[in-house]
Amino acid sequence: MLLLGIDVGGTHTDAVAIGPDGLEAQVKVATRHDNLLSSIRDSLGEIVRHTDPARIKQLNLSTTLSTNSIVEGNYEDVGVIVSAGPGLDPHSFMTCKDFHVIPGSLDHRGSETKRLDNLSLEEAIASCRNAGIKVYAAVTKFSPRNPAHEKSIELAIGDNSDFTTLGHQLTGRLNFPRRISTAFYNCAVWRVFNKFADAIADTLDEMGLGHIKVNILKADGGTMPLDLSRKVPVQSIFSGPAASVMGIIALCNITHDSIIYDIGGTTTDIAIFAGGSPLIEQEGIHIGSHPTLVRALKVHSIGIGGDSAISMLNEKVRVGPNRLGPSIAFGGETPTLTDALIWKESCDCGNIERSKTGFTAFAAKNGLEPDELADQAIGYAVDKIHDSTRSLVDEINQQPVYTIHELLENRKIIPRKIYIMGGPAQAMKMDVFRKFRLSTEVPENYDVANAIGAALTRTTTELELFADTERGLMFIPSLGHRENIPRNYKLEDAEKDAMNHLLAHLGEMHVASDGSNAQITSSSSFNMVNGASTVGRNIRVKCQIKPGVDRTYS
Amino acid sequence: MLKADNSLGIIFFPAFDWAISPTHPEREERLLYTQDQLREEGLFDIEGIREYKPEVACSEDIERVHFCFPEAEAVATRSHCISAGGAIKAAKLVMEGERERAFALVRPPGHHAMKTVQGSRGFCAINIEAIMCEYIRENYGPKRIAIVDTDCHHGDGTQDVYWHDPDTLFISLHQDGRTLYPGTGFPKESGGPKALGRTVNIPLPPGTSDDGFMMVMEKAVMPILEDFKPDLIINSAGQDNHFTDPITNMNFSAQGYAALNSMLKPDIAVLEGGYAIQGALPYVNLGISLAMAGVDYSHVREPGFNPKTLKESEEVMNYIATICEGVKEIYFNPPAESSEGVVSGNWSVRHRNIFYDTEGFTESQTESLLLCNNCRGLLKVETQREGGPMGFGLEIPAAACDSCRNQGYSLLEEAQVKSRYRYIQLINRKDKDYLRYGF
Repeated sequence: MLLLGIDVGGTHTDAVAIGPDGLEAQVKVATRHDNLLSSIRDSLGEIVRHTDPARIKQLNLSTTLSTNSIVEGNYEDVGVIVSAGPGLDPHSFMTCKDFHVIPGSLDHRGSETKRLDNLSLEEAIASCRNAGIKVYAAVTKFSPRNPAHEKSIELAIGDNSDFTTLGHQLTGRLNFPRRISTAFYNCAVWRVFNKFADAIADTLDEMGLGHIKVNILKADGGTMPLDLSRKVPVQSIFSGPAASVMGIIALCNITHDSIIYDIGGTTTDIAIFAGGSPLIEQEGIHIGSHPTLVRALKVHSIGIGGDSAISMLNEKVRVGPNRLGPSIAFGGETPTLTDALIWKESCDCGNIERSKTGFTAFAAKNGLEPDELADQAIGYAVDKIHDSTRSLVDEINQQPVYTIHELLENRKIIPRKIYIMGGPAQAMKMDVFRKFRLSTEVPENYDVANAIGAALTRTTTELELFADTERGLMFIPSLGHRENIPRNYKLEDAEKDAMNHLLAHLGEMHVASDGSNAQITSSSSFNMVNGASTVGRNIRVKCQIKPGVDRTYS
Repeated sequence: MLKADNSLGIIFFPAFDWAISPTHPEREERLLYTQDQLREEGLFDIEGIREYKPEVACSEDIERVHFCFPEAEAVATRSHCISAGGAIKAAKLVMEGERERAFALVRPPGHHAMKTVQGSRGFCAINIEAIMCEYIRENYGPKRIAIVDTDCHHGDGTQDVYWHDPDTLFISLHQDGRTLYPGTGFPKESGGPKALGRTVNIPLPPGTSDDGFMMVMEKAVMPILEDFKPDLIINSAGQDNHFTDPITNMNFSAQGYAALNSMLKPDIAVLEGGYAIQGALPYVNLGISLAMAGVDYSHVREPGFNPKTLKESEEVMNYIATICEGVKEIYFNPPAESSEGVVSGNWSVRHRNIFYDTEGFTESQTESLLLCNNCRGLLKVETQREGGPMGFGLEIPAAACDSCRNQGYSLLEEAQVKSRYRYIQLINRKDKDYLRYGF
């Protein structure tokens, strides 16, 4: 039985096949940004040549498709219909030209405080139709508490739409502006993503791999089945950094508070682990000009990588954040961090001769000894990485807490170990160690860790449950599930229900889970008082399948 | 993306695990819907607005301000220390220039806690604003501070803490004490003998709404502030003037609170009371946050808001106009003598009985201020809780003259020698010497 992992990165597309005894095949091909599918097909072809296709059970794929199409603005027009009620002016969150605000409002408990104005709604839809819109996002304020208005909008859009995203289906977490942008992006990339998904399915059929299960990587370090991803393509953005982090988890046995570096060509991604687990971004990821509610691992990128150019500013040596072509060792003109590492003989790659000649020339031109230049350049890069890490850890330790218990129990993150991966990992290891004085590890296979991470990542999902016993209602927004509950419904009932629905939802996605990775991440119950008597309880439970790998690879 | 005109730090600490009792207005649920509203609005995504974690105030922070009997740990729970720590965090953000303004959205509140603390009054145990102000003065040097208390209840605690301090201007806008707890806060209460006119009480008739409050701001508060020229303006931001508040009778709105803050431009706001936890707090807190950050708040409307039905009559407006003139007169031409206390020798002495409503006991107290011509004077307090032991508190102010300072230490020695007191506390702000004796 084989698990495949493919990571479509900025420069390379890496693919691996992992069997019961470890890595059975690995491939690296150049990524063709104009034709991602061909990069995937090429790498898959190589893998299949070295393995028995019948043994392949699953393919986990991390792709930059959605990210690129959003960043490059290469997506279709979306009709965004929102209803806000009191608060900030919803026009501040205008994501596109076909943005319509409909009068109507719900409050924080989901009670309707103003009816949705049907006339304005009809006008908005007519205007979108005239503009040739075929995909719609419907988002109303507090829809995770009551989706009625979003559903009314969906009903009114009816046949005008090829695809509609309702805000509450994306997540049960609150944040109206982010819900708008997330629903917008989801619609914007829907068609291009679905074409890609079709092409993947066709390619697999052609290659005789029609039987394998395909999962798409998400930014939170989990996967989702291809079929589900067709409805929530926005969840696939920024899955690249997640793949690296999962790779480290698969390759190393992480138990302490740790720092993870993925040093690439142009950037270094920094992730932080608390105990053995990666930290998740509290709200969601930023993309394009808008923050979203897409759950993501907390990964901070800085402009330092192997290809970062070395420059002089006021007689001081600097590295990055620019990339001015490849390293001299690989045919470039400007010396890079990699060239500095080559000079110090930490690294053995490309044309060493050419690199050293170019490096010496650059040093001479700036009145420095090459050794001095290399030391300062590497020192600068390591300092940058060190300072960014310090401020990231400080920021995490500053995160708000809401109960006395949390404040007193809140342990600070104190990193005890560093893991490095990516091209220059081995070459930078000692310099990083000298700066931090922390145990520093570079795992074997660090160069294809992303693909290994992708291959072994488990399917994850999360949900929020919200119950209001005064109304006798329980609601799970992301599943669109709503049911009546008795007045004596308690926190324990809610926790049990949340877990059951989580596992049932996995079942619907044809993912077997024994529940051992399912966990409640937060749960609370508040007495609601009217006058001097308790009228009910306001219960909130969040649970998730913990992001992680199905098994470790070593 | 929205951007704030003024960078704002919000310390949000709802203390989701602390309550006075399950159905008490000051309970876990109080800031729940505010949290929902702030999250749903995406407030913390606005460029310039950031959320911070509170600090925990320590005993020294509390005992720098209060005479606590038997001791700080006995009167303040963990949640009180975090609430005060939230205010301290707000002060640090502003004083260290990380943020232009800060709002401590914390509970429990503190403005009914007086200089001497033996227990809880009006849901308050320690005065979180005063603890913050004195933290500022201790760590960032002497400051002229104006505290504008917009809670519906008279800020009798804050008034008491600063009664003798000419460098702190305390202005309280509140529902007339003849109609509401704690029953104080009349214009004639204008400060102790060395700080006359530094306490400004503006009692408003029940039913005062946005127009009335704005008139008070324009005609009284702003001219007084302009004259006082404070280094810092603090808003003691109680939100129970709201028309839906269950324990008061005013008609203020979220728009009104936001407009008031736009005009006041407080450097720091600290949450006080406010018990309409569903219909008012989420909107009022949002309105104040936006107003402090300089972001458009004109779309903030609470359900049931109808300015016409809330509007006060012309008679009420005329009455408020008269009060404004009266309090301005008191600030600009303070009376020659304090309304409280008698002069006995060199000392101005007040005898008082203070009722602790939350716990149901009375404290009897004798407070004396040494009338000094060179400084604001040495303060001493003798206090006894019903049936309890005697406590003695002594405060040497930061700018004390040598004579007051020396007399303070000889009084301390005398108090110890006579052993009339079970507990003795010395607050020496001049030398940062804080002592406590007793068992």
